[in-house]
Amino acid sequence: MRKTPTKRDNGPAYLLLAPILILLTIFVVIPFFYALVVSFYDWSFYQESAFVGVRNYYLVLTDDLFLESVWTGLKFALMVVPAMLILAFLFANVVKNLSPRFSGFVKTSIYIPTIISGIVASVIFVFIYDYTAGLANYILGWFGMEPKAWLAEVGTALPSIAVPAVWLGFGLTALIMLSGLHDIPESYYEAAALEGAGTWAKMRHITIPLMRNVILYLLVTGFTAQISQFELSLVMTNGGPLSETVTPNLYILNHFRNDVMVGNSIAASLLLFVVLGSISAVIFRVLNSEKAVDG
Amino acid sequence: MHAKKGKKLQSLTAMSSALLTLSLAVTACGGSNGSGEASPSASASSSAAASPSASASASPSASASASESAAPAEKVKIDFWTQKFEDTTDAWFKKYVDAYNKSQSNVEIKLTIVPGDAWDQKMKAAQAAGKAPEIRTISYGNIANAAKTGQILPLDDLMAPAVFDDLYDNVKEFVNVGGKYYAYPKLVEPSSVMFYRKDLFEAAGLDPEKPPTTWAELLEDAKALTKKGVFGLSIAQNAPDLGWSSWGLQYNAAGHLALTDDWSKADINNDGYKALYKFYQDAYQSGAMPKQQLAPYADIKGFGEGKVAIQICGSWAIGQLRNSYKNLIDKVGIAPMASIDGDQTKPTATLGGWTLAVDGKAGHPQQAADFISYLLAGDPQIMIDFFKSAQFSKFSPRKSVDEAMKTDPDASKDTWRALIAEKIIPYAKAEPLYPWDVALAVSTGIESAMKGTSVDKAIAKAEKDVNDFIAKNKLAGTNPRA
Repeated sequence: MRKTPTKRDNGPAYLLLAPILILLTIFVVIPFFYALVVSFYDWSFYQESAFVGVRNYYLVLTDDLFLESVWTGLKFALMVVPAMLILAFLFANVVKNLSPRFSGFVKTSIYIPTIISGIVASVIFVFIYDYTAGLANYILGWFGMEPKAWLAEVGTALPSIAVPAVWLGFGLTALIMLSGLHDIPESYYEAAALEGAGTWAKMRHITIPLMRNVILYLLVTGFTAQISQFELSLVMTNGGPLSETVTPNLYILNHFRNDVMVGNSIAASLLLFVVLGSISAVIFRVLNSEKAVDG
Repeated sequence: MHAKKGKKLQSLTAMSSALLTLSLAVTACGGSNGSGEASPSASASSSAAASPSASASASPSASASASESAAPAEKVKIDFWTQKFEDTTDAWFKKYVDAYNKSQSNVEIKLTIVPGDAWDQKMKAAQAAGKAPEIRTISYGNIANAAKTGQILPLDDLMAPAVFDDLYDNVKEFVNVGGKYYAYPKLVEPSSVMFYRKDLFEAAGLDPEKPPTTWAELLEDAKALTKKGVFGLSIAQNAPDLGWSSWGLQYNAAGHLALTDDWSKADINNDGYKALYKFYQDAYQSGAMPKQQLAPYADIKGFGEGKVAIQICGSWAIGQLRNSYKNLIDKVGIAPMASIDGDQTKPTATLGGWTLAVDGKAGHPQQAADFISYLLAGDPQIMIDFFKSAQFSKFSPRKSVDEAMKTDPDASKDTWRALIAEKIIPYAKAEPLYPWDVALAVSTGIESAMKGTSVDKAIAKAEKDVNDFIAKNKLAGTNPRA
């Protein structure tokens, strides 16, 4: 039963939309266009800004470090997001079949990292990765292995930072997955069971297709969030060793803090926006190649 | 029909994705700014330098307003921001701001203490909003650029000329840009001093009264001192720390810093810089250094906890040792950092430190400068009080203060103070004014040499990076002191 929208409904609808529209305008749309304008200037707070055209963009795009940082961000997201999604998916399937009381306890426990700030998590993991007294090297010691310079070796630094990122994002991802699972009607599984479908067949043909929108959402938000990640590397490695863990936002922050003129960091931010937008678009494109299924 | 719907859906999703990423990008860029680490800029590195404990203890509660007394309406109110330093420094600022506010009824100074890692963001935001404090702390390395861009005012007409004559000649240069004084210095701190454990020297069969004086000896001793659980040597080992802490050694090995005087090109492809890169490479690869730093360069924690036998750190570490690692003090020796060839009159350190300056848009420049005159350039006892509370880990830029300190019983019997004041500071150099990117390119080269790149390759890469930066940013001929 669908009602045709009438004029009568428009008033309240606009009223309800107004707060978010106003807030978005003030905090997102206006600053965005202002940033766009400023990015064409050599901008300082004490002197007349000088128009420099696309020079800021030229400087950022020809800076190897910026391109490297985007690549670092991508690598980081590719480490974190799939690991997080797979773990969360498995975990959600386990929790779904637990007794209500026990699952409540489990859900609360895994949600705890989500409410811990990235800074706190970084500090905790800095202790874990400490060279002489850290938990990680202590455990290596059990097997008679030499201590490892987790955060100072080119090969291990980025994965070492990815671990707390997974830990931080896991809880929320698992809960969203779980609610997606609960949304799938039991009758589908019962019908499939009657047809003789096994566990794997059910997962491949029912669970995963019906979770498409949930996974799509988690992929897009996950990728944008992880590529934008910067507290972890700021606190844990300060971008090092060399520039292995300089994520795009850390690059921008460093320029914002150090540069005399701020045009460069704004241009870099806008370019990062383009990068994030294109990645999201690609994900939408790939996952939407078939018609979206509504559960 | 199907295709049409699909297209509509696509544009809708594209739009919502754009909005989503937009909001994410915006929130991510403007979002949290807290961190535990000191920032890697020349300025902020000195902030870490000035306060190794500050970075760890930075918290919102650190910002505090000191003035409580409600002032009559006609009083001029002047905002004064300082970075968060050691607690003793904060207390010293509060004490004398209060004293100044009580001593007269025209001006009220409002002190705000800003954590070092929030400083840049907070200051930039305030500058953008036109609400920057009239008086602020600024490190030597940032003065020239701030003066050039009009962020701070020349003080020549606002302060008595005599107060500048009281400064040591090398420090006078630090605050002078284009013939004008843009800030008044509070303190100087050499960036590298050698701290070593006399007891471990003895245990390893070395003479505790003869610390190493050449780089070769330093590496040799470091190897001899390395035992299970104790590393022989700790020195900066990542690019952001190396960026500023190696300046003294760059002077030591090459006699100059990374750029030619007119800033037209890199000046590092020479024997001096090669020797420097080699020194760091050998130190790291000898196994005498921890593979991952135990604490940032500015923090002497590893040494204090007994895990390091020789630590190179700034003079500020004296304060940290005396406050946090009291039982170790008897076993600690202190000496100038080893020199490339043993000549201890060559610079091994740069002098970092802090000054006060008046904002370029200040509404009451005269009153602001008067306060600076009172606090930093007036009664020597005020400054002596400061150096005492800092456990003599910082040093005076003023001749009259040092003169007065000679008669002070605590100051005159402090041998560490004397050693640094007599054997390190006179040979120390000013921090460079060139952009941090240049320093970072050089130090990234050092780090890559430590991590296994050959010295020649690392230098070639750093040289190319620096020259690229110069070309792109049109740096040639912009040295404000040339």
